[in-house]
Amino acid sequence: MKEITEQIQTIAARLFEEGKIDIFIAWEQGELDFQTKAYVARSKEDAKNLVFNEYAIYNTANMLLKFRDGHERIGIAVKGCDSRGIVRLLEDLQIKRERLYIVGIPCPGLKDPLAAARNYGGFNRQTEPDSLAGKCLECIQPNPVICDEIIGPEQSPRQQGDRFARVKEMEQMTPDERYDFWEKTLSTCIRCYACRQVCVACDCRTCIFDEMKPQWVGRESSTTDNMMYHLVKHAHMAGRCIECGECERVCPVNIPLMLLNQKLIKDVGAFYGGPEAGLQYVEGAKPPLSVYRIDDPDSFL
Amino acid sequence: MKVLNKSKLIEALNVLSSQQEVFVPIQRESQSGYFSWADYQPERDELMLEALNVYQSPKNVVLPQTERMYGIISQGMEVDIDQTFEDAHPTLIFGARGCDVKGILAMDEVFLTRGFVDSFYQARRANNTIVANACYAPGPNCFCTAMEVDPVEPVGADVIIHDCGDYYAWEARTGKGEAVTAQLDGLLEDKEVKLPSAQPFQLQVDYQGVAEKLKDMFDHSLWDQMAEPCINCGMCTYVCPSCYCFDIQVKMFGEKGYRFRAWDSCMFEEYTREAGGGNPRGASKERFRQRFLHKLEFFQERYGTPLCTGCGRCIIVCPTDVNIARIIKAVKEAEVE
Ligand code: SF4
Ligand code: SF4
Ligand code: SF4
Ligand code: SF4
Ligand code: SF4
Repeated sequence: MKEITEQIQTIAARLFEEGKIDIFIAWEQGELDFQTKAYVARSKEDAKNLVFNEYAIYNTANMLLKFRDGHERIGIAVKGCDSRGIVRLLEDLQIKRERLYIVGIPCPGLKDPLAAARNYGGFNRQTEPDSLAGKCLECIQPNPVICDEIIGPEQSPRQQGDRFARVKEMEQMTPDERYDFWEKTLSTCIRCYACRQVCVACDCRTCIFDEMKPQWVGRESSTTDNMMYHLVKHAHMAGRCIECGECERVCPVNIPLMLLNQKLIKDVGAFYGGPEAGLQYVEGAKPPLSVYRIDDPDSFL
Repeated sequence: MKVLNKSKLIEALNVLSSQQEVFVPIQRESQSGYFSWADYQPERDELMLEALNVYQSPKNVVLPQTERMYGIISQGMEVDIDQTFEDAHPTLIFGARGCDVKGILAMDEVFLTRGFVDSFYQARRANNTIVANACYAPGPNCFCTAMEVDPVEPVGADVIIHDCGDYYAWEARTGKGEAVTAQLDGLLEDKEVKLPSAQPFQLQVDYQGVAEKLKDMFDHSLWDQMAEPCINCGMCTYVCPSCYCFDIQVKMFGEKGYRFRAWDSCMFEEYTREAGGGNPRGASKERFRQRFLHKLEFFQERYGTPLCTGCGRCIIVCPTDVNIARIIKAVKEAEVE
């Protein structure tokens, strides 16, 4: 990973020197090993602060949303999952391809800084600190799907066995059992919306949950409103979730959000086929469920 | 001194639970927080009194995340209030750390002083007792002493328990504390105790003069830099033991309904959105700055104490490594013209 860090720094410095970029988005090392966070370098000097280490898990594509209205030319380092996020933003016309210089990093699998922080901080029951993050164990696309330059050798997917095993298990339950499961699980959601904020596919300027006139979903942390939040949020993820796992990773009360996302990935795949969200960028192409046609075969739409 | 032998802890919690609703730090599957002892199931839950702290603070007990205020009936242009939902059932928070007790004291200031009394909060708080768990071994993110908290003898506790290995030394501090002690008659024993010695704090934070200095730092470039990674997710405010913001909303089912309040966060965009659509804190940085100024400057100005209690929770939950201790340090070191 040290070589990757050096290469990111060299590439970023070169891009600044050549005047090709105004900012470079990657990660920065905090005080402690696991405190690695997103970082925006603004000069050749800043490029020295860039790192890639075993905790560089934060999805850098999310940072692009902060710059979508600007004109900066942006260099950005991406892992496999992050690169799928970029494809989503391009498809949704949130940022122009010509503004980006993408440096791809085939990802060896990373650890979760939040799990490390909990262990370190003495909150919660201690968890296994040395294993890879859950989302990395399930990763199907460690290699960047879109980039201008790539650092290091290709990695192979780490996902093993039946990818949708957990979803299939749920599908076997009776509707009542399933309802009970989700009622119990979602009733503990504290509605902090971290799962939405950290999501690169949640790129709406005004989120439906922030609308006040009318207010579509109430603020009560009751089973009804919580379920409504999750139903709507996840329905919006159909064909959009890039499976980066960030929502589930950051949730302070550990709601198994990827179970919902995976169900949608499975169903969208079965109904519409085609590449999964963010796996392939074709200019002008639209993912399923994002086109409006007057002659849509489904009269409801 | 009175002591509670740990072998009698479960029995004691059962006894207390028969007199009031008791909230204890529990690890429940993958979540941790203050949950009602009445819902305790040993195969699912683990009592966390020995851990440093739990993720969700006990503020929920005195300021529930959602609470109904009053019921409404509307007929034509007429609106009637048909009931109020004041909740005065007795509660006991068992095992709160000093930082979390201070969080509740901060809320007392807001909801009970300066001529503004929040009757809902008052009813709950009047019937709430706190048994604090003294801290002798601060964690790596703890900095409560810098924020005017005494981790061993927290102000505001009705009883303080001190973990002495096989037993808890039990020290009633207030009338409410005496009353709870009386409930445990027969379970507490008298014993000569030797209290543990307090270990030093690993994190050094110097808050001296920060509130003063912040007065001239509203437009400082530090905020741009600090706020850059923040995604305004609001988790930090929801896990914080002292953040007390709420929004009042209404739910109608035909002609009947109710008003309720629910936690809100200054990190959210619609928190300051005005009726006409304008928003004085439209930008992410402005919301970020509000959070830290409220914690470190505004509250200090109004109530003479910081609103951060140094519990370290926001440091642990933040997905982008925003760290309030580091912010205090940066403010200290910042140059101001
Ligand atoms: S991050 Fe977790 S607690 Fe917060 S809104 Fe999402 S599911 Fe709920
Ligand atoms: S911040 Fe202080 S009171 Fe809170 S857990 Fe740490 S040492 Fe204890
Ligand atoms: S938890 Fe971190 S990212 Fe989320 S609002 Fe708080 S400071 Fe910002
Ligand atoms: S920091 Fe924000 S959410 Fe917390 S009490 Fe202050 S204004 Fe409210
Ligand atoms: S601001 Fe952070 S450290 Fe301070 S009391 Fe709140 S959660 Fe704890």
